[in-house]
Amino acid sequence: MQPPAGSPGPGAAAGAELLRWQWREVQAPCLVAAWILVASLAKIVFHLSRKVTSIVPESCLLILLGLGLGGIVLAVAKKAEYQLEPNMFFLFLLPPIVLDSGYFMPSRLFFNNIGAILTYAVVGTLWNSFATGAALWGLHRAGLMADPGVEAGLMDFLLFGSLISAVDPVAVLAVFEEVHVNETLFIIVFGESLLNDAVTVVLYKVFNSFVELGPAHIRATDYVKGVASFFLVSLGGTAVGLLFAFLLALITRFTKRVRIIEPLFVFLLAYVAYLAAEMVSLSSILAVTFCGICCKKYVEANISQKSRTTVKYTMKTLASSSETIIFMFLGISAVDTSKWAWDTALVLGTLFFILLFRAVGVVLQTYVLNRFRLIPLDRIDQVVMSYGGLRGAVAFALVILLDRDKVKAKDYFVATTIVVVFFTVIVQPCTLSPSQSFPCLLLPFQGLTIKPLVKWLKVKRSDHHKPTLNEELHEHAFDHILAAVEDIVGHHGYHYWRDKWEQFDKKYLSQLLMRKSAYRLRDEIWDVYYKLNIRDAISFVDQGGHVLSAAKLALPSMPSRTSMSESSVTNLLRESGSGACLDLQVIDTVRSRRDKEDAAMHHVLRGSLYKPRRRYKASYSRHFISPDKQERQDKEIFRQNMKRRLETFKSTKHNICSSKSKARLKEKGRKKKNISLTSDAHNGKTHRNVPWQEAAPVLVMISSEEEESDSSETEREDDEGIVFVARATDEVLQGKTTAGSLDVCPSPCIIPPSPTLAEKELPWKGDQADLAVYISSETTKIVPVDMKKAWNQSISSLESIASPPGIESGPQHRRFACPVLEEQSQSASQAMPEQSSCFQFPSHISKSGRSQSDSSPDGTEQQELQPLMATEDQGRMLPSTEPKWLMFNRASHL
Amino acid sequence: TIFTPEQLDAYQDCTFFTRKEILRLFYRYRDLAPQLVPLDYTDKPDVTLPYELIGSMPELKDNPFRQRIAEVFSEDGDGNMTLDDFLDMFSVLSEMAPRDLKAYYAFKIYDFNNDDYICKSDLEKTVNKLTRNELTPEEVSLVCDKVIYEADVDNDGKLSLEDFQHMIVRAPDFLSTFHIRI
Repeated sequence: MQPPAGSPGPGAAAGAELLRWQWREVQAPCLVAAWILVASLAKIVFHLSRKVTSIVPESCLLILLGLGLGGIVLAVAKKAEYQLEPNMFFLFLLPPIVLDSGYFMPSRLFFNNIGAILTYAVVGTLWNSFATGAALWGLHRAGLMADPGVEAGLMDFLLFGSLISAVDPVAVLAVFEEVHVNETLFIIVFGESLLNDAVTVVLYKVFNSFVELGPAHIRATDYVKGVASFFLVSLGGTAVGLLFAFLLALITRFTKRVRIIEPLFVFLLAYVAYLAAEMVSLSSILAVTFCGICCKKYVEANISQKSRTTVKYTMKTLASSSETIIFMFLGISAVDTSKWAWDTALVLGTLFFILLFRAVGVVLQTYVLNRFRLIPLDRIDQVVMSYGGLRGAVAFALVILLDRDKVKAKDYFVATTIVVVFFTVIVQPCTLSPSQSFPCLLLPFQGLTIKPLVKWLKVKRSDHHKPTLNEELHEHAFDHILAAVEDIVGHHGYHYWRDKWEQFDKKYLSQLLMRKSAYRLRDEIWDVYYKLNIRDAISFVDQGGHVLSAAKLALPSMPSRTSMSESSVTNLLRESGSGACLDLQVIDTVRSRRDKEDAAMHHVLRGSLYKPRRRYKASYSRHFISPDKQERQDKEIFRQNMKRRLETFKSTKHNICSSKSKARLKEKGRKKKNISLTSDAHNGKTHRNVPWQEAAPVLVMISSEEEESDSSETEREDDEGIVFVARATDEVLQGKTTAGSLDVCPSPCIIPPSPTLAEKELPWKGDQADLAVYISSETTKIVPVDMKKAWNQSISSLESIASPPGIESGPQHRRFACPVLEEQSQSASQAMPEQSSCFQFPSHISKSGRSQSDSSPDGTEQQELQPLMATEDQGRMLPSTEPKWLMFNRASHL
Repeated sequence: TIFTPEQLDAYQDCTFFTRKEILRLFYRYRDLAPQLVPLDYTDKPDVTLPYELIGSMPELKDNPFRQRIAEVFSEDGDGNMTLDDFLDMFSVLSEMAPRDLKAYYAFKIYDFNNDDYICKSDLEKTVNKLTRNELTPEEVSLVCDKVIYEADVDNDGKLSLEDFQHMIVRAPDFLSTFHIRI
């Protein structure tokens, strides 16, 4: 993509100018953008007609387009302007494709077939290049190459053989993905194309240096060096990849608070791995491939759902556009006849030999491999494999890189390479692809007259059946069983090593590289279950669960509501002011039948009402993506539907998230206790009379940090993608609103902490521990575990004798933990003495304390959540003060 | 000589192995407990490797299925292995063994309470073993329900051998992996 030298520049302007023509400045990026645009538009055009793309692979069309464009450019500019530059190819175009293929490589399949892949990649490539090179040299010696321009010795031909014989990952991927052969076949051909890079690079370099040295000066040690460098290059490249995979996984473990740049790390580190390997002339393709394969498990576990999607799509986009550009430029480059020098014998000989030797190599290796393979590769597989040895842009870039002074026959080699690439990419896929006939222009080639190979040979295609839980389960069980049997017999086979690796991974690597929260989440069986459930849910909603929910919205006290649409329910909620109205029931403390009815109603309401549409502050944040309103509402509708459906199905679907988050938060709480807050708590208790400022600064620091981590923890939940729950929806809802409200939503959480099924009668009878755990991030922060215990005890005693002192600790601590209060230390310190003196009447104290914090102008949203929690907790404990509380509460909200 | 030709023939008939493989497996067997297994089997000594010996192997320490395998393949059902049991086990796992036989033994491994059905409690045991008790009981129960729901053709809430085979046949890759090459 060399920008043309004499492009239209700015016209000479005299004096001051209003606008200036600045083509020169933007020329290079502009051309790049233009080319990408052209290629992408071309793709759209190709796919307009389904018929064309089903017959002709896209890569062929792109090459043909490139030929056309190149022809146009040649005709206009009288010289070939653009072509595939090796540097650009290796530094920018190749890495995305390789990263994409490595990252999305089905790793189990890959490692299951690693033996075969390595054999084909190493032995096969060595065989191909030596045999092709030697055979061409023989042809030359026999005097069959008529053109005297072909001055080449054995080394030149070996060099050419090395670059022409490597199967190209770009071409293989482009073609085989469209053909859909079965998985094993695909992984073998594709894995080979990736892993043979090391061999190609080494052979190319060794022969290149031999050619430069001249055959006379090569000593025996050089050969040894060549062999040694093979191991160095391949193992070194792999090591670089593994190192960066480790780094990447480790980094993503700590990106909890910078979710937005998570995808960046993935791309950046993989690219750095590529460059690092390239820098020390190790195999960069191997580096990126292994980086992708190895980091995936940990990265996927660590990053959020949205980041996962982003990584996926960005990777696919980059790879796809790289591929597009590569093929198009291959076409364009081919037009440049100044680099061509045609020798029929060389071209035909090369074509013949690469096909022949590939076939021979595949047959021989498969013969050996099948003795060791459980599922042998049959004849048809072998045919496809030998025919699927596609050459592509790598060969082209390498041949362009040759030095014309050293390699006299370079022009001939370039021409031959182009022909070979075109032949393999255009002709072979056309026969491979499942079309009935190929009517267009390439009829002369033998391949086209055959019916498409794959279809004709009835190659086992890949069947995309749905993954089932059974498969997952049995796969794991079989792994263990087979490993056990291998252990018993003392036979250290494949299962033995895999088992050992998995244990190692579980014990050390995953512990090190995954977040605590993600670690448990990654249990595959549960994962599959989760995915299946979500799929079921989505399909259900697609079938129109929407209507059902509205129709089923029957409220006992409002008979007319049954037919009410969602929007009117929302209106109803709006009319009644803030959402706190739902909580009015909490006021009553006398247990009566009416209360029970109310409680039931309360449950029904909370279960079936849609949350009111909120007004969000128009906010823009570069660092957080806030789910927009529509999305929220959709999610909510979705959740409601799911709930209803699952209730009707009665298939014991259960709350997925809450249990998880519960566990996670509990763990959090425990950890906290261990770190700091235990001591803080004691401080809080023992130094009650000490002026607050003394203890405050330290506490504030710690808790603010913890709060941050906590809130991002809840945000993580928020990022979990579609969360559906069958029961106790609101916990999750609440978690969401809490997270969202931290930076977006000014209004407080409306719905009170919901009861679990465990509490049968009244909402306010919930066990406090649970509430404290998952009410909101703040509460968790506030109440360390030991405090919670004390609290619980006091509450249980409260129920009988209603003795207040235990409550004291709650609010006080909360105040300690609240970072915002630092600014109000003045006022708070005034409140403090009072507090410690009238210890017995915590409600008043906390009220006064609260009134200060609430009415303070800079009280933030976090705080607004907090009082709500507090009121509810306290309201339950001290019913007599409740009405005031609630009023107060509402006032602060409104 | 370890075996008489008649013994070898009998073993050959009962298993999917050749003589050479049988001898190799015998040595493997003997390696487990050289002090217990005599080198002369011609007089059919009554040798049994106790389960403790197998279960205490360091390699097996972390394997959740070690006891179950020994139990299923041992004749007395307690995990004590004779040479015949040992050969049987590998015979089932050899490539020559037919798919139905493999499915049958896989089924038996899952069927913890030996009632010829994989019921929910069996599955829960399996899942717990596989996940090393990392899932909560609720989650395990959900997963098991789903597994049964997926594979239960006759809707009786438990998986019979037919259900199991049907499921295995639907996913052809499965039993092809249930192999060990000695």
